[in-house]
Amino acid sequence: MLQTLRKGYDCVVVGAGNGGLGAAAQLAAKGADVLLLEQHSMPGGFATSFVRGRFEFEAALHQFADIGPPSAKGSARQFLEDELGVYLDWVEVPEAFRLILTGPGEDLDVVMPYGPQNFVDALERVVPGSREPVSRYIQLCQEVSEALTYLGQSKGNPDSRVLRKQYANFLKTCPYTMDQVADALGIPQQARKILHAQWTYLGPPTSRLNFTVYAAMLYLFLTTSAYIPRLRSHEFAVALETRFRELGGEVAYHTKVEQILVEEGRVKGVVTAQGDEIKTRHVISNASPTLVYNRLIQPRQQVPEAALKQANARKNGVSAFTVFLGLDAPPDELGLHEYSYFVYDNMKTGEMYETFKTLDAPRAQAALCSNNATPDCSPPGTSMVSLTTLYRPEAWQGVKPRGYVKIKNQIAHNLIAHFEQATGASIRPHIEELEIATPQTFARYTGSHGGTIYGYEPEPWDSLIPRMMAMNQEKYVDGLEFCGGYAFRCHGYSSSFKSGQTAALLTFRDMVEQGEVQG
Amino acid sequence: MKVHVKGNLRDLLAFRGLGRKRKKQIAQAPAQGNGPDPVNQLAEQLHPGRQYLTIAEVVDETHSTRSFKLVADPARSANGLAPFRAGQYLSLKVVVDGASITRPYSIASAPYEALDREGHYQITIRREPDGFLTHHIWDHWAAGTRIESSGPCGTFYYEPLRDAPQITGLAGGSGATPFRSMAREIAYGGLDAELLLLYGSSDEDDIVFYEEFKALEEEAPDKVQVVHVLSCDEVSLAGCEQGFITADTIRKYADLERSSFFVCGPQAMYSFVEQELATLGLPRRRIRREVFGTPKDIRQSPGYPQEAGDRVHQVTVQIGGARTQVPAQASEPVLVALERANLRPPSQCRSGECGFCRARLVSGKVYILPDSDGRRAADKKFGYLHPCAAYPLSDLEISIPRDA
Repeated sequence: MLQTLRKGYDCVVVGAGNGGLGAAAQLAAKGADVLLLEQHSMPGGFATSFVRGRFEFEAALHQFADIGPPSAKGSARQFLEDELGVYLDWVEVPEAFRLILTGPGEDLDVVMPYGPQNFVDALERVVPGSREPVSRYIQLCQEVSEALTYLGQSKGNPDSRVLRKQYANFLKTCPYTMDQVADALGIPQQARKILHAQWTYLGPPTSRLNFTVYAAMLYLFLTTSAYIPRLRSHEFAVALETRFRELGGEVAYHTKVEQILVEEGRVKGVVTAQGDEIKTRHVISNASPTLVYNRLIQPRQQVPEAALKQANARKNGVSAFTVFLGLDAPPDELGLHEYSYFVYDNMKTGEMYETFKTLDAPRAQAALCSNNATPDCSPPGTSMVSLTTLYRPEAWQGVKPRGYVKIKNQIAHNLIAHFEQATGASIRPHIEELEIATPQTFARYTGSHGGTIYGYEPEPWDSLIPRMMAMNQEKYVDGLEFCGGYAFRCHGYSSSFKSGQTAALLTFRDMVEQGEVQG
Repeated sequence: MKVHVKGNLRDLLAFRGLGRKRKKQIAQAPAQGNGPDPVNQLAEQLHPGRQYLTIAEVVDETHSTRSFKLVADPARSANGLAPFRAGQYLSLKVVVDGASITRPYSIASAPYEALDREGHYQITIRREPDGFLTHHIWDHWAAGTRIESSGPCGTFYYEPLRDAPQITGLAGGSGATPFRSMAREIAYGGLDAELLLLYGSSDEDDIVFYEEFKALEEEAPDKVQVVHVLSCDEVSLAGCEQGFITADTIRKYADLERSSFFVCGPQAMYSFVEQELATLGLPRRRIRREVFGTPKDIRQSPGYPQEAGDRVHQVTVQIGGARTQVPAQASEPVLVALERANLRPPSQCRSGECGFCRARLVSGKVYILPDSDGRRAADKKFGYLHPCAAYPLSDLEISIPRDA
């Protein structure tokens, strides 16, 4: 029996990660005929879960930004509910984070709440005298956030007078790093440690990480809190896929796209590993520009030199290493009272980032105890804990199949020991299920270059605003849009998801301009 | 509020300069494509989607058991064999009477034996009196036969971060195969654990690997011990136990305080052994069980609707761009009906656990044995099923993925 796919679609979306799902659903909602192709057996990309024994582990999500409560929806929830009609059971996380610094001479162990006022108050209690500069910092974050909203509403044509008048501080901090802006505002060192604690959500150290993107993230978290789907990320992915099909979209799993066909500078189709040749004039790629320009576009002469240079100029983000633990004791008994932990040796983020380049004992981790957000996510009397550290892919360069298991077990051992030391929780005697994900695991399931879990590193020249400003001039192939963590919004669940919406709307506009549909 | 980072004018100029800076960064970058990606390369070596193997040797172990030594097909496997952990299985793809089906087989050889270029896997198969696949294997598999396989799968392996220092294996019949792998790896020095294997067989002639286990015990006397438990009435073999693997037998040999129990065998053995284990009051984390297919006869399972068993339903299948209809017996997993119609559905564990066959139930009713319901919570909510462990209770419509 012939199992080939239909021959032609308005648009093919390559990859069913957060961006691809958002793009596919949005474009289908516009009435386009869309095919979503995914190499894995299910949707989600990193947004997934897996079952071991009586536990179902969240694979990736710590905190979903920009959801907000139903009474004051964030823009991710608006997109999901108001645009797409997807309603999930969202659970608000109980606190922003607990930050524990464990290195010599460090004594910080603090639980921080969300809510701008609560956050400032809590910081003032830990670092007396920080209220004034920290309040200014958060006020600046607010301006950044509002400026981004304005830019979004202006659809690429902002009034420069409005920007200069209302959003001058946004403009003036845009070219700088987190450290530069914190210095300019005179943030005390001890307060800075707490203010910058979530840097590992974005990857590069604060000396290189652009202020704008961190400010936007922090402000969204402070004002709209963070949420997770009750049934883990997989619920988010399946709900979106379900809605996409209801809107007339088609999905094929176990179907890897091997070629994006380009003719005279315009997309003309895709070829899958099974050999399906599908005609389309529009591709939205959840796969990175690095993969698309270096591998997927055929014939190779159709890849402009500028496109390769652009992909090569950008710095691929970090990968991750996670230990997933199903424990046979409840969180209380273990002494774990928070959902989200940052356990770092110190907040010298450059020093921590350097440790991502070796396989020595990890010195920085982000941990979760899922039950403290969703008590019934595992059976009564048990708990689920995951410990994640980051890696530059080159740290794994010399690893051979032969030594792989030993190395990953040693790292997992070290991560558990660091977490136990920081929290006082006794984990080892309670391990009923254990799974380890390495950069190779993330590469296996998503195909991302270097096992990268984030997109390109948002340094000032390659952060949100420069990417946005360059969108038109860096469009190298007609009919090709990008979405996901590599797209212009930078990474994170919310950003990559919403980037799908942008890619879909740009594609639709192109369809109208090409006379393929009525506007 | 007015914020200056380097000074009002300099900040504004820096903003204006962002675009120029970006252009410069891009202009300086190399234009040639990037090379291979070591992370993805290692991922592919560790977890190949497919392996192409050739049978190098066939050995009769007992009257009903045969071992096959599998090597990489040099023409199609640049990387050699994928490494594995003792206790893992391969999902082999076999074409029988024109239909492509899969079967999971534990790897009986040790991980160290697969590492070199000339490395191999061994699988050991028991011939089922009414098993059409094993008949096919006995008739057709010989040295030189080519076989397609998955990468190594499964989680039935010793994990030092989780398990106690002693592995107490409780095996029945061909369930001894993963323990052969563990014993060999321990004796070789590649796995730092002790193995006590309580191995149930019906009689002396039925024991697989008897001589090999003996040799391994001699090679690693402090680390490997095998106790045969024979259920026949008369037992002449020295040093073995008569009867079944009971709590008393376990207590007699195993150090309960420092043991993790690994159970692998036919369904009937699980129910018995698990009841015995339950009397020992062990924490759940100390007991691990290999997935071992679905029950021989689902109609015997309590909870299965008795009236359903003999019916035949029509399953409408969406696959790729096609749509077809296949008959399916209520007493067989949906996957079997899909394979019989040669739709080549993906599958691996055939036990409901791994989710590789995950499919969408568009309409109709299925029975899923609670013990083999490995679905994710959201998949239950949104109506997905694992066809390998779901039985049709009505006509169905399902959407299944294509073979990768």
